[in-house]
Amino acid sequence: MSELHDWLSAPFAPEHRFLWRALLMCALLGASASLLGCVLVVRRLSLLGDALAHSLLPGVGLAWLMFGTSLGALFIGGLAAGLLTALGSGVLSRLTRVKEDASFAGLFLTLFALGVALVSRVGTPVDLLHVLFGNILGITGADLWLAAGVSTLTVSAFALFYRAILIECFDPSYHRACGGRGALTHLGLLALIVLNLVAALHALGGVLALGLFMLPAVTAYLWCDRWGTMLAFSVVYCVLGGALGLLLSVPTALASGPCMVGVLGIGFLLSAVLSPRHGLLGRLLRPHHHHNEHGDEEGVMPGHRH
Amino acid sequence: MSRDALALDDVTVCYRRTPAVHHLSATLRCGTLTALMGPNGAGKSTLLRAILGWQPLTTGSITLGGVPARRALARISYLPQRSAVDWDFPITVREVVAMGRYQSRGLFARFTAADHDAVADALTEMDLAWLQDRQIAQLSGGQQQRTFLARAVASGADVFLLDEPFVGLDPTSTADLVQRLNTWAAQGRLVVAVVHDVALARAHFQEALLVARSLVAAGPVAATLADANLARAYGAAWPLARPQADQALALPDLGGVLRTQARSAPRPTAQPGTSAVRPAERRP
Repeated sequence: MSELHDWLSAPFAPEHRFLWRALLMCALLGASASLLGCVLVVRRLSLLGDALAHSLLPGVGLAWLMFGTSLGALFIGGLAAGLLTALGSGVLSRLTRVKEDASFAGLFLTLFALGVALVSRVGTPVDLLHVLFGNILGITGADLWLAAGVSTLTVSAFALFYRAILIECFDPSYHRACGGRGALTHLGLLALIVLNLVAALHALGGVLALGLFMLPAVTAYLWCDRWGTMLAFSVVYCVLGGALGLLLSVPTALASGPCMVGVLGIGFLLSAVLSPRHGLLGRLLRPHHHHNEHGDEEGVMPGHRH
Repeated sequence: MSRDALALDDVTVCYRRTPAVHHLSATLRCGTLTALMGPNGAGKSTLLRAILGWQPLTTGSITLGGVPARRALARISYLPQRSAVDWDFPITVREVVAMGRYQSRGLFARFTAADHDAVADALTEMDLAWLQDRQIAQLSGGQQQRTFLARAVASGADVFLLDEPFVGLDPTSTADLVQRLNTWAAQGRLVVAVVHDVALARAHFQEALLVARSLVAAGPVAATLADANLARAYGAAWPLARPQADQALALPDLGGVLRTQARSAPRPTAQPGTSAVRPAERRP
């Protein structure tokens, strides 16, 4: 019994103050990253996040080479590299034959390779590992302040531009008809994604941080039929799931960042199977489509996408 | 309701530096159901985009009731093609219709009681009130079409631009939609719909605008959609029109015409006996 008690209370011991920092970090980043993930999921841009996450590396490496490990320098370096990828691929796809997804792939792979080369030149293999996957138990107060700022900015942007983001995702042409600036909204969202990735760099590394974006969003997509519900679901799921992963990582002695993302991923897989309307079992158990049982006067649905 | 007109005066629109529509002048009067017709790549979509102000004019002007259309955008509502909509998007019928109010209410202001009333009225007018909390993928094709019509109604616009609204609708839904559009027109609204079905346009539309990069003909459907004009617009794609041009009294068998050119024209929705499926249209 006392063994179980020790195991359970281990995370709350005073020497584990770093864990509380990590939990706060998880809540801050989870709240904002999962919102952005929802946008990426419904706009079918999930791979864009991936590309941005990888492309941060050369900026970070270069900043490190020139200014050392100052947080501000890393932040600006990562931001510059991310925006370069986002804008560069836009320019490439407009001016050449290459389509946008392919130009993203071309740019982020180039930048990622350069970044890994740079970081391996400057630091030790352990440093490289931290840049790639972060170290959420080693974050500083400055990291937390940065995350708090970015998270506040992101959540306020979603509150303020709720309608603009909703129409831009659902019906971009109608957004223009309402006098909205589609390109500006898109660019703003890209900038927020880069900001969040950079803020998560120390804690999770660029690539792993993407788990906080995508996994809650895609899980929410399996459960929710309204935009507002999807946003709320993904935030709550991200914060709770991330915290659970973090707490589990201490007694099991697993790496904390991957453990957080892993728990979110397991929840996603379970949802993909179990979600009653959009999951695997739901589809298998329901031979015909649900709309036929509501007495539609028009009956068939040509052009319906699944 | 107004009896204004949407006036296109010497409109030239370039798409990626090549002119897509040349020096086109036409007057579309409110209170009419107008078919916008022409072969693929004729500039129909470009013209709609120009009216909405999404495409700059190289020459000419577009005015609505004497006011530049750009400054009357609140009166103009655009309905996207059904294939352009992500039906899996987590959004309900009511939320889509509520978007109609964003145009006048703006993207930030709170909804007032008037906004909620307008949304409720639009839902009722389109028989969607009982479906309002349904996610949009759970609707039939006709109901999905009506959801976007309701959004346009809720916006308070009186000029409606519909991009191929009949694509993929079965005969029942087509008849229903035609009837609703005619009701709108009778209320003094201007309804412009991109249509490929000549028989449908001849039977149910009052006016037509036939374009093939420049204006071929405009005005009442009977004169505008005469075989000679259709042959000028569609060229080789209107094969049966030419031999029959001499037989002034014999109306071409439209079912047959449309069956033989299944790639360029939609199924004749007025004739349930013909093939019910047609390949998805490829945009130029």
